[in-house]
Amino acid sequence: MPINDVGYRRLKNEKTSSLFRWMIICNTGVQLALKSKWVKRIMFTAWLPVTYWAVGFFFIEKSLSADPITAMAMSEGIDFSQVSRMALEDTLVNRFSVFPGVNELQEVFETGDTPEIRNAVWRWMLLTFFRYPQAIIILFLVGFIAPSLISQDIRSRAFLLYFSRPISKLEYILGKLCVPSIFIISVTTLPALSLYGAAILMSPDISTLPQTWDIPFRIIIATFGLVIPTSAVALMLSSLTQESRFANFSWFAVWGLGHGAWLTIVLATSLQMDQPLFHPDVIQSEVVSNWSAISLYNSLGSLQAFVFGFETFAESWRGIVSLFGITVFSMTILYRRVSSPI
Amino acid sequence: MTSLVSLKQITKTFKSLPALDGIDLEIRSGITGLLGPNGAGKSTLIKLLLGLVKPTSGAATFLGYDVIKDGRKIRNRIGYMPEDDCYISGLSGVNAVQFSGCLSGIPKTEALRRAHEILDFCDMKQERYRIVDTYSTGMRQKIKFASAIVHDPEFLILDEPTSGLDPEERDALLNRIRLLATEMGKSVLISTHILPDVQAICDDVVILSQGQVRLSEPLETLNRTKEPSFCIRVLEDVDQLADALKKSNVKVTKNPDGTLTVAGPSTGLAEIIWRSAFDSGVSIQSLTPARNSLEEVFLSTVADSRGTEGEP
Repeated sequence: MPINDVGYRRLKNEKTSSLFRWMIICNTGVQLALKSKWVKRIMFTAWLPVTYWAVGFFFIEKSLSADPITAMAMSEGIDFSQVSRMALEDTLVNRFSVFPGVNELQEVFETGDTPEIRNAVWRWMLLTFFRYPQAIIILFLVGFIAPSLISQDIRSRAFLLYFSRPISKLEYILGKLCVPSIFIISVTTLPALSLYGAAILMSPDISTLPQTWDIPFRIIIATFGLVIPTSAVALMLSSLTQESRFANFSWFAVWGLGHGAWLTIVLATSLQMDQPLFHPDVIQSEVVSNWSAISLYNSLGSLQAFVFGFETFAESWRGIVSLFGITVFSMTILYRRVSSPI
Repeated sequence: MTSLVSLKQITKTFKSLPALDGIDLEIRSGITGLLGPNGAGKSTLIKLLLGLVKPTSGAATFLGYDVIKDGRKIRNRIGYMPEDDCYISGLSGVNAVQFSGCLSGIPKTEALRRAHEILDFCDMKQERYRIVDTYSTGMRQKIKFASAIVHDPEFLILDEPTSGLDPEERDALLNRIRLLATEMGKSVLISTHILPDVQAICDDVVILSQGQVRLSEPLETLNRTKEPSFCIRVLEDVDQLADALKKSNVKVTKNPDGTLTVAGPSTGLAEIIWRSAFDSGVSIQSLTPARNSLEEVFLSTVADSRGTEGEP
C-alpha cells in the first residue's frame, strides 16, 4: 500500500511549451543509450586521442615560440626560430605526406609568417583529429546507439504512444536524430574545442586568440557537416527494420562497402601507375578523385577539408553534393517509414 | 448532455477500400461503448478522432476542434490507451508513465510525482521499478492505462482496456473507469469486444459494422424490452408456475438457465405473477424486470447490416 495514496488528483500545473517536446524524446533516448556499458567504454576511449593531440599542440607551440634559448641565439644573429619552424615543416610535410592538406600546409610554411602558420597548423591538426581517430570512433559509437532507436519502436509498436500525444512526426524524427548527434558532438566537437582551448593556453600569449578566432567556428560547422548526414543515414537504416541487428549490420556495410569499393579503385590505379598504394599521385589521380564520393568516409573527409580550409569547393563539391543527396534521401525514407505504421 | 464528437458524412478509403462509409455520429459526455466485428472500422474511427488519419470526405469535430486541422490540440486534451501491446523498450514502468506525462507537457519532476500517484491509483506496486519489457500482459495494460490518464485528460479513448486482465483486475479497471467518469467528469469512449464490460459501465452504445454506424442508442433504451416483462427465479418446480401463469393469459418463456420470462399487460403484471405463485404453491426467489441481452442486440444488428449489404 502506498504511504500516501491521494487517489486520482486533478492536475493544476501549467504545461511546458510545445516547442521543445522533441527534447524529451532526445533526453530519454540519450538516457537509454547510456545504460549500455559498451557505449560508456566507447565514450571513454573517444577522449583518449585528445591527450595525444594535446601533446602535439604542445610541441607545435614550442616550435613556433621564441623561447629564451631562441631569443639568446637570435641576439647572436642566429635566427633559431626559423630553424625550429623548418624542423616542424619538415616533420609535418615529410612524415605525414599521405594526409590531406599537407601541400596547402607546405605553401603556408613557405609564404606565411608565424600567425598564419599557427592558424594553418592548428586547423590541420584539428582536421586530422576529426578525420582519423574520431571518425573511427563515431563509426562504432553510432553503430551501437542508432540502430535500435527506431527499429525498437517499430518492434514494440511504440509509435502510437508517441503520436497519440501532441507530438508531430517531424518532432519525433528531430528528437531521435538528436540522440546520435549528441553522442557525436560529445566525442568530436567537445574534444576539439577542448583541444583548441588547451592550444590557446599553451601558446605564448593571448594574441593567438585573434590569430585563430575562426577555428572554433570551423569546428562547429564541421560538426554540423558530420552530424546531419551520419545521423540521418543511421536512423534511416534503423527505420527500415524491426531487428536492430540488421540495422547495425547495414550501418557497418554502408561504410565498409563504400570505402572498400573506393580502395579497390585506388589499388587498381596504383597498379596501373606502378606506384605505391597511397602515393599522392595515385590519390590525386582523376579516376580516384572522381570516385572518391562513393565512400561516405571520403565524402565526410572532403567536406571537413573544405570547412577547415584545405580544399577548395571545386575540389570537394563531389563529396558535398554526395552528402547532401544522402541526407535528403535518408530523411525522405525516414519520414515515410515513420508515417507508414499510422 | 452535450455532444463531444460530431461526425458528418465521414468517409475514409484506403486504396478504394472504404474503411468508414458516410458515418454520421454524435457522442455525448459519459461512457460510450464502441462495438463492432473485426474490420468494422473501429480503429480507423479512433485514429481519425486522434487526428492521425485524415478523412477522405466529410466533416468532424471533437471537443469543439476540427479533427482535420486541429489534431494536435485534440491530442493535448485526450488520453488514448492503444489496443496493441506497445511500450517504450528499456524504460521502467514509472519512467514510462513519466515520459508519457512529459510528452503531454507536464514538467519533468511533476510528471514523476504524478506518475507515482497514478500508479498508486492503478494499484501498481513495487513492480513499477521494473523494465516494461519484462512485464506481463496485465501489467502492461495497467501501464498503458496509467499513461493514458497521467496528464488528466478530459476525454479518454480506451481500446480493449480489459483484454489480458484477470477477472479481479478487470473489475478493478472498470471501477476506475466508472470513477473517472462519475466523480471526475471525464468522458470515455471504450472500444471493446467484451459485451459484459459495456453492459457494466456504459451509458451509450455505438455499433459499427462494415464501415457504417448501425446503431447509436443509450444502453438503457437498448435494454428495454418491447413489452413489459419480468424475469422470475423460483425455488421449487418452475413448470408448475409456468402452467399457472399460462392460465392467466400472459406470455411465458422458459430460459435455459431455469428462469422464466413473463410478458403481459403493462398494468397488473406483477400482481398476476404473485397470484399465480400463490395458487401454484411456488416460492419466488427473485423477480426482476427483464431486459434485452446486449449480445442479442449486437448479433442482430450486425446480422441486419450484413443482410442489407447483400441486397441489390
